[in-house]
Amino acid sequence: MELDFGLIVRSLPLLLTGAVVTIQITVLSVGFGLFIGMFAGIARMAKFWLVRAAATVYVDFIRGTPLLVQIFIIYFALPLLLGKRIDPFLAAITACSINSGAYIAEIFRAGIQSIDKGQMEAGRSLGMSWIQTMCYVILPQAFKRIIPPLGNEFIAMLKDSSLVSVIGFEELTRRGQLIIARTYGSFEIWVTVAVIYLIMTLTISRLVDYLERRYKIDDKH
Amino acid sequence: MISIKNLHKHFGRLHVLKGIDVEIREQEVVVIIGPSGSGKSTLLRCINYLEEPSEGEIIVDGITLTGESSINKVRAEVGMVFQRFNLFPHMTVLANIMLAPQKVRKLNRNESEIIAHDLLKKVGLSDKANAYPEQLSGGQQQRVAIARALAMRPKIMLFDEPTSALDPEMINEVLDVMKNLAHEGMTMVVVTHEMGFAREVGDRVIFMDEGRIVEEGTPTEFFTNAREDRAKAFLSKIL
Repeated sequence: MELDFGLIVRSLPLLLTGAVVTIQITVLSVGFGLFIGMFAGIARMAKFWLVRAAATVYVDFIRGTPLLVQIFIIYFALPLLLGKRIDPFLAAITACSINSGAYIAEIFRAGIQSIDKGQMEAGRSLGMSWIQTMCYVILPQAFKRIIPPLGNEFIAMLKDSSLVSVIGFEELTRRGQLIIARTYGSFEIWVTVAVIYLIMTLTISRLVDYLERRYKIDDKH
Repeated sequence: MISIKNLHKHFGRLHVLKGIDVEIREQEVVVIIGPSGSGKSTLLRCINYLEEPSEGEIIVDGITLTGESSINKVRAEVGMVFQRFNLFPHMTVLANIMLAPQKVRKLNRNESEIIAHDLLKKVGLSDKANAYPEQLSGGQQQRVAIARALAMRPKIMLFDEPTSALDPEMINEVLDVMKNLAHEGMTMVVVTHEMGFAREVGDRVIFMDEGRIVEEGTPTEFFTNAREDRAKAFLSKIL
């Protein structure tokens, strides 16, 4: 087999714009997921059992089913219910955000539970409400601790976002497929796609390491 | 000021408080002593509802503790100092003290900062306003914790073994702050093993064992002439 380096060079602009789309999906999904996950994570520890149960069902359902199936449900099944088609971009972001939210909920829960119980007691004993203590005392401390697992979730999402290629959404993986369909350069393109993913994930993990170190020093004050 | 009637507390199958009746008057300093596991800390924590009583009635400053709103109301009037300080590690000393007055009393930044500086002066830590808790010694942290509780202008202060986590040489600096508070007329309930403090500052000593109040009286009565055998046995071990 002979490698066609020219094909790699020619495909690079298309693949790189695909990589930008991958980053967009990931950033948006983890962004929304952060929002969903914070509330779901806190809801998992709520006093009212109904709130707790709802959050638990959400987390269990999402973590217990494949993302691919979740994407299918939103892109193919949901339109039957709504009676109209869903834009692939919207479907991709929705599925990934809901998915990411469930994992981030567990990250938040673990982060919050790792904060000494005395902190909540101290806040409450000063007359602050549960929510006030959460916002001003617990969450600021928890945020620092959840940076590393959030970084992992970001990397996982970046890789998993390749699954939205199945609904025709043109991110990095889908771009690769399309180029191969035209050029049959399976080997060159898939290896290039893999290397681009690798560069992105390694960059993020270095960034997370840096943030973690910075906040550790910050903690020392 | 505080009225407790027939208070019971269960932790699962463990019956920790078995019918406690106590009245605490304004400006009174009540010291609760007893062996570990006797329920003294639980009793204290029930007063501001950090532990929910299983049975019985607690009235603090005329407010019966029931729902969430009455709990927050009572807690704002009742300061609590913990064995392990529980300062907020991500905030400076000043911010620790200013937080609750701003969020609960709705004071503005300036007002709460004036209060905070005042209190830091009172506990002798004016120079530590901008330090973070972990830069302070245990004794200093506990004094900040006292200042933080006082910033809410509480009518009652609860102390849960405030010196038990401290190195011996730091105990007195904390006890001195507490003595000053007592002399100023603060109503105080103190769970402690510091018998010197109980004797010198306490108006009344309550001795607890196995979830019951076994004996109570003035410190002089109690320390020189305890009536109950269990109290005598306890005193003989610690004095």
